[in-house]
Amino acid sequence: MTIIPISHMFNVKSKPEAAGGETAVVAEGKRTVVTDRQKQLVRKVVLAAVSLLGLLVVWHVASVAVDRTVFPTPAETWTAIVKLFTVGDSMTGYSAWDYIGSSLGTFLKGFAVALVIAYPLGLVLGRSAILRDLLCPALDVIRPIAPVAWAPVFVILMGYQLGPLCVVLIGAFFPLLTSVMFGVMKIDRNWIDAIKTLGANESQVFTKVVVPSSIPYLMNGVKTGLGIGWMCIVSAELYASPVGGLGFFISNYAQSGNWPNVFAGIVIIGLLGLITMIVAEALNRAINKRMGVSNE
Amino acid sequence: MTPTEASETQQPQIVIDGLGKTYSRDSVETEAIRDISLDIRKGELVSFIGPSGCGKTTLLKLIAGLIQPTNGRISIDGRQCDAPGADRGMVFQDFALLPWRSVRKNVETGLEIAGVPKAQRRELAEQYIKLVGLGEFADARISELSGGMKQRVGIARALVVRPDVILMDEPFGALDAQTRNIMQAQLIEILRNTQQTIIFITHSVDEAVYLSDRIVVLTKRPTTVKEIIELDTPRPRDRSAPDYNAVKRKILDYLENQNTELL
Repeated sequence: MTIIPISHMFNVKSKPEAAGGETAVVAEGKRTVVTDRQKQLVRKVVLAAVSLLGLLVVWHVASVAVDRTVFPTPAETWTAIVKLFTVGDSMTGYSAWDYIGSSLGTFLKGFAVALVIAYPLGLVLGRSAILRDLLCPALDVIRPIAPVAWAPVFVILMGYQLGPLCVVLIGAFFPLLTSVMFGVMKIDRNWIDAIKTLGANESQVFTKVVVPSSIPYLMNGVKTGLGIGWMCIVSAELYASPVGGLGFFISNYAQSGNWPNVFAGIVIIGLLGLITMIVAEALNRAINKRMGVSNE
Repeated sequence: MTPTEASETQQPQIVIDGLGKTYSRDSVETEAIRDISLDIRKGELVSFIGPSGCGKTTLLKLIAGLIQPTNGRISIDGRQCDAPGADRGMVFQDFALLPWRSVRKNVETGLEIAGVPKAQRRELAEQYIKLVGLGEFADARISELSGGMKQRVGIARALVVRPDVILMDEPFGALDAQTRNIMQAQLIEILRNTQQTIIFITHSVDEAVYLSDRIVVLTKRPTTVKEIIELDTPRPRDRSAPDYNAVKRKILDYLENQNTELL
């Protein structure tokens, strides 16, 4: 019996070779990569579904075992969520979207301000050892303070609108700043030497190497900052009564003892946080790909 | 006319005069380079070879102006080199390409810095990308290239700004042996076409003998010139020729001695 090589059986074309006898990695084996990715994706989705289902089961069992009145079941919470979205909040007259819009608006504004301050500052601190030595001691004192600790102060100083915004700002600021600063400090020395030997001056080194190579680090900071900022907004709103927001919704119904509504608020916060993270992660992947940084 | 006669009739392009570099860290002084003097002619390929850990890269960075000498001076066509500039291009062992730029954009970097208009930039980049044999890969991403291809981008990026000299820091050191030989042959082709002056750092004796007009053999630290070997066999050279191997043997013996002393 003659043995037929597998490649002949399936009529596989040999890979084209690049000029100069080197093998190009362009497009090599792309087909198998795609199917592997698809498999991974399916596995991921299935496991995520199992994970969430598990959470619901544990939640249900716990609420039945503990105290259904203060700790409602997933089903009771779901009813409250549906009611909030269809009928609205009978106590204040706000709809679910009013609450979500209010929290999300404050959160995004606070985060945007944090980004606008932290990114340039991180770039400069990453490049200048003198400025680092000057500013870092002061920043290191403020950094470990839980952002929520500022909430009562900010709310009284700046009011119900600006107070929570500032809590988000300070919460998102530090992860953004440190990520960018350490990122800039880690920039490949050879990239800078290379561009200098191409005639670049300091400002060209900055625009052509420092800024582009800081972007993946910025995105890392954005991911962490979004998580922390989102935690901050709700806890700050707990202090900031009359102007809405999901934090207010929760504290309002906790006072009146409507626990299904409290849990509805908690679940909505969790879901919005999850959506924010998914968006940030997708953005991060797209940017890293563009910047030639591997996602692994 | 032999290269020796040429050097007598021609003004040297690069003059290295009494160069010395001492690092001081934590109040400990380390003398990396001591009193190196050398004249380099236009269009010459001079390689530096020395025992492991000698200040080869330091020497190259001094010429590039990336670090400052403690003693002595370096000049190109009479101009002092005390800061980096586009007149001295550099090619790095780890390529040092910017991964967010395509092949084309990497090659264009120096032209952007020089303020060359877009259309002209594109045309020049195209020309040099073709010169290094990457015509089909102009829009490829750096991460899609093999090591040899990456270094050809590195070479095109350095050549395109027409520097007076290209400083190559073990440029083929990260490549496998076969790719390395191909790259050496292609470098000779490029040299023939551009008359580019090249200062080449290597730890491969074979590479130095294969490529160089002159080989500067360096001592261990504090590094100074041990010997300068002139090679006037036309390139490409026959690796099996007796005189080729005699030169190799001589340098290898010296380096082995030096390295044994270090151990």
